[in-house]
Amino acid sequence: MPDSINRSSLLKWLVDPVQSTSGVAKRAYRFVGDRRAWLVPMALGVALLAISLLGLWESPDDFFFAYLVGWSFLLTTALGGLFFLVFNHLTRAHWSVVVNRINEALVWAFPLLLLLGLPLLFGMHDLYHWTHAGLYDPGSPQYDEILAGKRAYLNTPFWLVRMGVYFAVWTFISYRLYTLSLRQDVRADPEIPAALRSTSAWGLPLLAVTTAFASYDILMSTDPHWFSTIFGVYFFSGGALGAVATITLVSLLLQRTGGLLQGVITPEHYHDLGKYLFGFVIFWAYIAFSQYMLYWYGGIPEETVWFQHRLQGGWAWHSAALVVFHFLIPFLMLLPQATKRAGTVMAVLSVWLLGMHWFDLHWVVLPVLRESGGFHWLDFTCWLGLTGIFAGGLMYRLSRHPLVPQGHPSLHDSLQFENMQ
Amino acid sequence: MFTLIQDLKAQVGIFESDADQVHGLLAEFPDPGALLHAAEAVRAEGYRHFDTHSPFPIHGMDEAMGLGNAVGVGVLTFFGGITGCVVAYLLQWWTAAVDYPLNISGKPFFAVEPSVPIMFELTVLFAAFGAVAGMFALNGLPRPYNPLFYSDRFRGATDDRFFLHIAASDDEFDVEDSAAMLQRLGAHHLELVKDDGTVDA
Repeated sequence: MPDSINRSSLLKWLVDPVQSTSGVAKRAYRFVGDRRAWLVPMALGVALLAISLLGLWESPDDFFFAYLVGWSFLLTTALGGLFFLVFNHLTRAHWSVVVNRINEALVWAFPLLLLLGLPLLFGMHDLYHWTHAGLYDPGSPQYDEILAGKRAYLNTPFWLVRMGVYFAVWTFISYRLYTLSLRQDVRADPEIPAALRSTSAWGLPLLAVTTAFASYDILMSTDPHWFSTIFGVYFFSGGALGAVATITLVSLLLQRTGGLLQGVITPEHYHDLGKYLFGFVIFWAYIAFSQYMLYWYGGIPEETVWFQHRLQGGWAWHSAALVVFHFLIPFLMLLPQATKRAGTVMAVLSVWLLGMHWFDLHWVVLPVLRESGGFHWLDFTCWLGLTGIFAGGLMYRLSRHPLVPQGHPSLHDSLQFENMQ
Repeated sequence: MFTLIQDLKAQVGIFESDADQVHGLLAEFPDPGALLHAAEAVRAEGYRHFDTHSPFPIHGMDEAMGLGNAVGVGVLTFFGGITGCVVAYLLQWWTAAVDYPLNISGKPFFAVEPSVPIMFELTVLFAAFGAVAGMFALNGLPRPYNPLFYSDRFRGATDDRFFLHIAASDDEFDVEDSAAMLQRLGAHHLELVKDDGTVDA
């Protein structure tokens, strides 16, 4: 039996930095499905992206905006998962240990996301108005005094450097958390839980700052005149919701369609995941409304213009749908205890909330491009194509390692976990 | 009507004495485990008017006694929250737009946007009222007097003793039979508590 873990070859490193350790997995925690588990979503994703390329030829700006929304959907979800893992380590959460591996598989996503993000660089001119050179030339009819004042921050070289820094930070933190936990499966070293906690401790403030600035750079700067200081928290809140929904959905898929982890993840754990979903549904609404209410109250044109656009044309329907379907209905559905413990309800809600998270980002980004609301077919193919590849990577990682951190000192407590009734 | 009130009171743990002024049997058990098993057995025998008393919560006692989940508190909390939300909306609309309209920098007299924080706060406040009041009501509290207090040993229920009380109002209750059953279950001390303040060991 090996007593350590080995690095993958370079190409595989993008998807999973560690060679398969399923040999050491205990029987109850071993993935027994075949390669279809990751091959099917990945093939579907590639096919959908290939179809989207037709759209790139037909209408490049629709393609790039749709691609940005789909990519941001995955980026925020992976970041939300990283936050969730970090604060579960920091608080020494016992209940979550049985779903930690699924969370870790979600979190090793940044190298692949960086690769999938490269096409966006070809759409910078369409996506980001601030990349237009004429804005900064006082002699040009396009000259924009406000954007010229923001030039020290909003310029392409600095933007690329910042992206590099964000991805380096996210990859490094997730590498530590992912590989340390896998090492613990092979050999339970008492130093590992402490190392996981210390990584989480210095990682959390770094994550907070990089996530906030990434939200400004990636999404907020699509409308470069507008600014919102709470935007980073808004970006985080949707991502955290997406991450908990993903963890819930993958757990249920493994259990119901894969027949795995029977009796390991119990209604008690779904109950807690449901509480987190409920909490983040409220948190998202709280932050989204906080952003709106202050601008409503202030009534300053340069601030309200962003919301005004989203309350006109077809976008008013999108805004109303967000309130009802991203907050009101999930809130009422997650309120009773029984729904959080029912696997089928949780599965439906997870899919629903992931869809709403995408709808939320669509509502943030697309009004920049389109006067009136509605959808373009590319919005769906880009989103689902990228999600298919992302999900394939997630399932690939899960298939290569024990499905639970079997060497974790709190695993026993997690298996025995019961909620206070 | 009278039995309906008695049933309601019994549901929240307030048991009436029987025609002979007998309140019920109080059995003392040596440890939490014995009390838990006794509660299971008493329920299995068909008793419904009984309660357990221990210095600390015992894990699994709710299931052993067949108490089920306290859905009632959740429902009362929910309706408390709805009430708070509606009250906050009406309060702000009536004060700002009907009773004393004031033009503040051209804002509408009443709008939902700035009212939401108050609606949220009163939802939380009234939900908390509903939860606390509902918890008290469903537990039959406050109840400063209980015939069990006649027993001197019962003081130990807040310190180091474990009691099971079968009320005389239970259909299955019979002084001799019930006492014999409790002794079989491992009660090391039995008392018959009466309304006139006497306690027969």
